[in-house]
Amino acid sequence: MFNYTSHRNIFFSVSIALVTVSILSLIFFGLKPGIDFIGGTMMEIGYETGTPTNQEIKDKLAQFNLKELSVQSSSEKSFILRFSIESSSEISNEGGVDETVHQNILESLGNPEEIRFESIGPTIGRELAKNAKWSVFLSLIAITVYIVLAFKKLGKIFGHGESWRYGAGALIALAHDVIIMLGFFSLLGHFKGVEINSAFITAILIVMGYSVNDTIVVYDRIRENLLTYRFKELNQVISVSVTETIVRSLNTSLTTIFALLAIYLFGGESIRNFSLAMIVGIGIGTWSSIVIASNFLLLGRKKEVGK
Amino acid sequence: MRRNKIWTIFIGIVVITGVCFLIDYPTVPDWVPGYKWFSKPKIHLGLDLQGGTQLVYQTDTTNIPDNQRTDAIEGARDVIERRVNVFGVSEPLIQTAEAGDEWRLIVELPGIKDVHSAIEMIGETPILEFKEQAAARVLTDEEKTAINNYNKKAEERAQDILNQCLTGGDFSQLAKEYSEDQGSKEQGGDLGWFSKGSMVPEFENVVFNTLKKGEISPTLVKTVYGYHIIKKDDERVNNEGTAEVRASHILIAVESEELVSKLTEWQYTGLTGKQLKSSFVSFNSQTNEPEVSLEFDDEGAKLFAEITKRNINKPVAIFLDNEPLSIPEVKEEISGGKAVISGKFNLKEAKDLSERLSAGALPVPIKLVSQQNIGPSLGKISMQKSLIAGIIGFLVVIIYMIFFYRLRGVLVGVALMVYALILMSLFKLIPVTLTLAGIAGFVLSLGMAVDANVLIFERIKDEENLGKSKINAIKDGFKNAWSAIRDSNGTTLIICFILYQFGTGLVRGFGLTLGLGVLVSMFTAITVTKNFLELINKE
Repeated sequence: MFNYTSHRNIFFSVSIALVTVSILSLIFFGLKPGIDFIGGTMMEIGYETGTPTNQEIKDKLAQFNLKELSVQSSSEKSFILRFSIESSSEISNEGGVDETVHQNILESLGNPEEIRFESIGPTIGRELAKNAKWSVFLSLIAITVYIVLAFKKLGKIFGHGESWRYGAGALIALAHDVIIMLGFFSLLGHFKGVEINSAFITAILIVMGYSVNDTIVVYDRIRENLLTYRFKELNQVISVSVTETIVRSLNTSLTTIFALLAIYLFGGESIRNFSLAMIVGIGIGTWSSIVIASNFLLLGRKKEVGK
Repeated sequence: MRRNKIWTIFIGIVVITGVCFLIDYPTVPDWVPGYKWFSKPKIHLGLDLQGGTQLVYQTDTTNIPDNQRTDAIEGARDVIERRVNVFGVSEPLIQTAEAGDEWRLIVELPGIKDVHSAIEMIGETPILEFKEQAAARVLTDEEKTAINNYNKKAEERAQDILNQCLTGGDFSQLAKEYSEDQGSKEQGGDLGWFSKGSMVPEFENVVFNTLKKGEISPTLVKTVYGYHIIKKDDERVNNEGTAEVRASHILIAVESEELVSKLTEWQYTGLTGKQLKSSFVSFNSQTNEPEVSLEFDDEGAKLFAEITKRNINKPVAIFLDNEPLSIPEVKEEISGGKAVISGKFNLKEAKDLSERLSAGALPVPIKLVSQQNIGPSLGKISMQKSLIAGIIGFLVVIIYMIFFYRLRGVLVGVALMVYALILMSLFKLIPVTLTLAGIAGFVLSLGMAVDANVLIFERIKDEENLGKSKINAIKDGFKNAWSAIRDSNGTTLIICFILYQFGTGLVRGFGLTLGLGVLVSMFTAITVTKNFLELINKE
């Protein structure tokens, strides 16, 4: 039987390396916020015939003095334009929607089909960003508290701090997942121009739910085995518990990743990055639940409790 | 006896599944009893799946007292709803949303083609408000000092100009340059002929009693308006035998505490476009000029009576689009709920205004801050793609389960179908607006639903390894798996709740569908899967 606790230093090293890379990437490259969070305009247009080149589109738009204009072809006949409208404009002092300019832009481009148009004022953007941060933060707290309460019984038998240890273990595993997801998307943002939006935050929150799900199943088994075999050493109990639950953890994660792969491959452009974030996150989350959260319980123990 | 109970539960599951299937089925044939009821619930598709527009308007409630804000916003919602209904959109949805201390109106127009006209039409909605003068307020010490300082400077300036006049400066030229009396400034300060009683006493005293013809007053004359430099141009006795004087002055205005304290803004009264019932053009019975008549609803009539009662002999302002349109003085209490806007209209202007008002007037100013259009073709593609992704995801999960758990995997497949049918009918009944994110949430909750089953199966395997009989292993497997299922789904539900509370639009829909999915999946795992397992494993 594979011993999941004796190799813990290797597991920790892998995770520490991943987290370090992620943090470095976040510091040096940062995240690329989408218009959800900073305000701005996104427009997808399609041409039936006479598709212009990117440069032609840019030239036609030069008259509008759009800030941070980018033109990207999304298929052979369609383009995604991103820009923000001068915030000192009189019609739109919010910097968001300017219906007149919007119509003028469409006209100057030869009235193509407007597949999608999104314009978000910076106030709303800031608010969304604030809500996103809050919801991630609140979820972390709520989950930790939930686990501490759910594992209260252990505290009664093994001493007061025990259930807090489980809460902290879950929190560490979750923070690990969130940081690596952010790091991954910071790299994607830097090299591929992938932006983060509300959907990405949703993905983070769901991965947190998923990861903690796995963690709880492992912890649940450790709790039960501890109560059953009280005389075994903690590291053995943990290794046995992980062995007993790993099939379930992998099965669940793999089925979910399969379902997500289906969305990634066939679900269309608009939710592709969302499903990618989920796939990465669930993969990382499974790893952290199986080997990080479980082995965290051994850290800083005195010899008598776990050899 | 035990078998009977198992069969009863099984039949219950079959019945629930059957009912859910009928709810889910798009058009139930008419030989089914109650087919009308089953066909009624429709799937609500979000804008991203059927195309359409979402407009977010920011409302400006700064002038409205806190306790009346909700009322005003609701009023604005109703007005816009009326406007949008005229536009003929199938299922417009207008919601109010509170963000911090600001209120927003979210207008969703599914399937609309001409977004531009819709925006214009909403933007043209007039803002109608009746305002009254605020009571005089007490000035702060800082304001008093500021006024004093200003007035001192004014006196110095006036003295300076007076010195120039007395040392041979051109009076009318100086008046044009410096006078702060807008009415006489351009005429070189000339006030024309006037008799006693038409000017303030201090001014009259100087021109009628002290000054001689052509003389300039050697000292500044102070009145409530400020410091005057006065020149008596001419004097005469008119046909009626009254003495008249022609004088010029240069005014350097001062601020008075009394005036500043009264110079507060117009105050919100609660009477707005919200209570407007109708509007039409009428003609003034005396002057025959066109006017715009307003008729209020019962609430508005009551409010109008109260406002006019407490403002007798005081002005009440009618604001249109944030500008005072007319400021009539109230003569008496008006109780009939009718008001007239008279003023400088020609017939066309009056007609236009009454037409605008008839279509509904907003109680608060609004501003478009966010717009999202999804073209119908994109909606269609997204719909197809996500459906295909959902079905493939569903099949992959079932195949994987059958591959891994054989017969039990088949049972999970059936249980998942029951799960999907129940969830879909819940979506229809509640109703949940299905968006792209919602479908993603649905597919994801499939994973969660499978998870509960996997937990149970692994547990049953463990129990069997302990040497228990099949039926006992199933019983204990469920029992022992429960705490893990409860805790893991519990945390997911917490997250769904947070998503629902903090999220907007997309995120909210995702939280709701995932949360519902988790709840239903717990139900199917611990009743449906268990029941199936018990049925095929006889004691």
